[in-house]
Amino acid sequence: MCVCKKGFNLTETLVLKENFSYLTETLEKREKGKRFYMSKVVLELENVNKTFGKRKVIDNISLSVKEGEVYGFLGPNGSGKTTTIKMILNLIDRDSGIIKVNGYDTKKQFEKAMECIGGIVENPDMYRYMSGIDNLKLHARLRNIDKKRIDEVLKLVELNGRENDKVGKYSLGMKQRLGLALTLLHKPKVLILDEPTNGLDPAGIKKLRDILKEIAHKDGVAVFVSSHILAEMQQMCDKVAVLDNGKIVKVEEISETKEEATEHVELRVKNINKTIKILKEKFNLEAKTEKDAINILLPTENLPKVVKELAISDVEIKAVIPKSHTLEDIFFDATEKEKNKK
Amino acid sequence: MKIFKLFIDENIKTWKKISTKIMIIAIILSLFAVLAFVKFLEKTEENLIISSSVVENEKEYLEREIEYYETQLENEKLDEQSRLNIQRNLELYKLFLEYNISPYNNSWENELASYIVEQKVNGQNIDELLNILKNKNFKEYIEYQKKQQKQQLENNSISEQEYNDNLIILNLKEKYEIGKEYSQESYWKRNIIQKIENAQYSLRTGINKETNKLIKAEEKQDLEDSIKLNIYRLENNIPDANNGSNSNYRMRFELLAPMFSMAVISIAIIVIAGGTISNEISTGTIKFWALTPNKRWKIMTAKLISILFYIIILVLITSLLNVFIANVFFAQEGETYLYCKNGEIKEIGNTLYTIEYYLVKSIPIIIFALFAVMLSTITRNTAVAVSFSVALYIGNSIIMQIINQFITKDWIRFIPFNNLNLTTKIFPNSTDMTSMMFGTNFATSTSLVFSLAVLGVCAFLMLVTMYDSFNKRDII
Repeated sequence: MCVCKKGFNLTETLVLKENFSYLTETLEKREKGKRFYMSKVVLELENVNKTFGKRKVIDNISLSVKEGEVYGFLGPNGSGKTTTIKMILNLIDRDSGIIKVNGYDTKKQFEKAMECIGGIVENPDMYRYMSGIDNLKLHARLRNIDKKRIDEVLKLVELNGRENDKVGKYSLGMKQRLGLALTLLHKPKVLILDEPTNGLDPAGIKKLRDILKEIAHKDGVAVFVSSHILAEMQQMCDKVAVLDNGKIVKVEEISETKEEATEHVELRVKNINKTIKILKEKFNLEAKTEKDAINILLPTENLPKVVKELAISDVEIKAVIPKSHTLEDIFFDATEKEKNKK
Repeated sequence: MKIFKLFIDENIKTWKKISTKIMIIAIILSLFAVLAFVKFLEKTEENLIISSSVVENEKEYLEREIEYYETQLENEKLDEQSRLNIQRNLELYKLFLEYNISPYNNSWENELASYIVEQKVNGQNIDELLNILKNKNFKEYIEYQKKQQKQQLENNSISEQEYNDNLIILNLKEKYEIGKEYSQESYWKRNIIQKIENAQYSLRTGINKETNKLIKAEEKQDLEDSIKLNIYRLENNIPDANNGSNSNYRMRFELLAPMFSMAVISIAIIVIAGGTISNEISTGTIKFWALTPNKRWKIMTAKLISILFYIIILVLITSLLNVFIANVFFAQEGETYLYCKNGEIKEIGNTLYTIEYYLVKSIPIIIFALFAVMLSTITRNTAVAVSFSVALYIGNSIIMQIINQFITKDWIRFIPFNNLNLTTKIFPNSTDMTSMMFGTNFATSTSLVFSLAVLGVCAFLMLVTMYDSFNKRDII
């Protein structure tokens, strides 16, 4: 597709036919290096429902995750994140709806679906009395994986050197990483992690984030991460779905470009009315006041001009606080709206 | 193929546990514990035999007794019956003293002396008998008995059947010199003669001499076979384990060791089986398996196969070790199992018999292991699964004993616990400790096929329950 657009004529393409696959491959690799959203959907949930007793835990959830995407699954405690993840991994049965992994239904084509999926639910539970590498070997045998791949994965999660220690002696961070190694062993198309940063120190979180970004953007693995920690998700995810009371209340792409184009700014000034007037007349900006603060949304490149103009007009500026459109906003906006509806 | 890989993983996982190694050591130690116990018995009883030898005092004892009886006779208040009894004893003891017969040993001379006294009281001629006693000729004694039997037949005081039976016994006694000498080593032969006599009596009268019940048609064949078997034992000098003699310590070991080591194996297997699902769920490692591309029934099957594998491996190791220990530490020959098939006697060698015996004994373990796995899957609680199963394993024979005492209805034979004792059904001529302890009851009266069918149905129901529970319930 991309090759043709770049202006090869027909004969040349025929000549290059042998090299075509090579070309697309390299192009794809370059694309992956950046980020690509045009690729295929590997995890799909369609109208999934689940009730425990009388309580509806999951209410008609639909979502889709594409290759190479880090998908955040955000929600307060008890919103149904873990239940959804367990349903995807077929640990619990769904009441209705379709879950497809790489095009395979997780119920009807269970074994094929499980070939393409890897996951950690709640804790990375392994046999504590066995060494890390022995745990990996158990898994490797079931999936016909050779020793080379085990070493490769151990290197990726930076556990080489400690693999012969008993898992019981590992720190929580090491256990998390070993769990990750276990799920990555068979090169899954979809990686599902339930609160992977629980109990990790900042360094550990950063390491985990780097690993996840690497496997998503380099190898094109779709990573589905659940968490209730907002900041961490913002740094990690490409797309976020907010779950509240078993419903998806918002799906938002976290894009850097969007943040750059417009900016949310809070102005703290002494002379509020004057400022509003200036903003309206000179820049045609709608301002919201909130006590002694003025909130405006403006193109990023305009901010210096606005400040300059206000200074010239003798407005005493106390502070200019840029407010990026954060996940926190998305989250609270979404959950607030839900509450208001009720 | 996938199941096989799961099975291998399951084994590696179990083997790496420290508790598994401890259990194996415990099983091996149980055999050595039995060995130590039997050896201890051997040593203490050896001392006992030496200290109880009172051969030198026998004469003194007899003289004292005779003196005592003579003073008793002088008492004029004695009634006729007691006087007669005392006189008989006096005569007997005098004979003992005269012919140097030990009053303690149940020897043929002893028997003959009593007979002589009897005849003398009855006013018969005892010269011939005294002559036999004087010559100490065992053969003559047997000949005399044969003559007596013939006389009784002619007098019509015994039937022809009884005469023939008695003649067989006498011939056997003559041939193998049973009763000629009193020793621990020949004790089993007399025991066997007694068994043959009992079987003959049962066949003749139609009443089982041991249980005092009418014998059934199928029992008749068994009794005939048992006579054949016992004669075969005498011919080939093969003592049986349950011979009432204490001297064969190897056989004692072979009786005790399977019972004890199988109990340890059972508990070890129940502990492993009781944790199969519940342990994995409580530690979360069930996800380890559930997140692999293996359907749940495959995971369950692999676990069950591995438990069966542990049972077989442990039983094989233990039985071979049992044979090895018995061969190394005991001088005697091990028990050879004899059985009668279509009137022909067949032998199973000691090693093979021990292994087969252990394997048959392991069938109930499979049932208890299944029970433990079922509880483990349903309750998801290792403590409940293990404790209930162990309690049932230990208590089942006692509970059934009590139930069988109070309920005599026919349906109790359908209770699986009444069908667990398979060794007595597959090896009817073996000596099983449990049947020795609890005697023959309702449980042993069902046939092998019936028992296996009941256990099979029981196992099937448990399998259905556990598969259903494991497949359908959520893994949380």
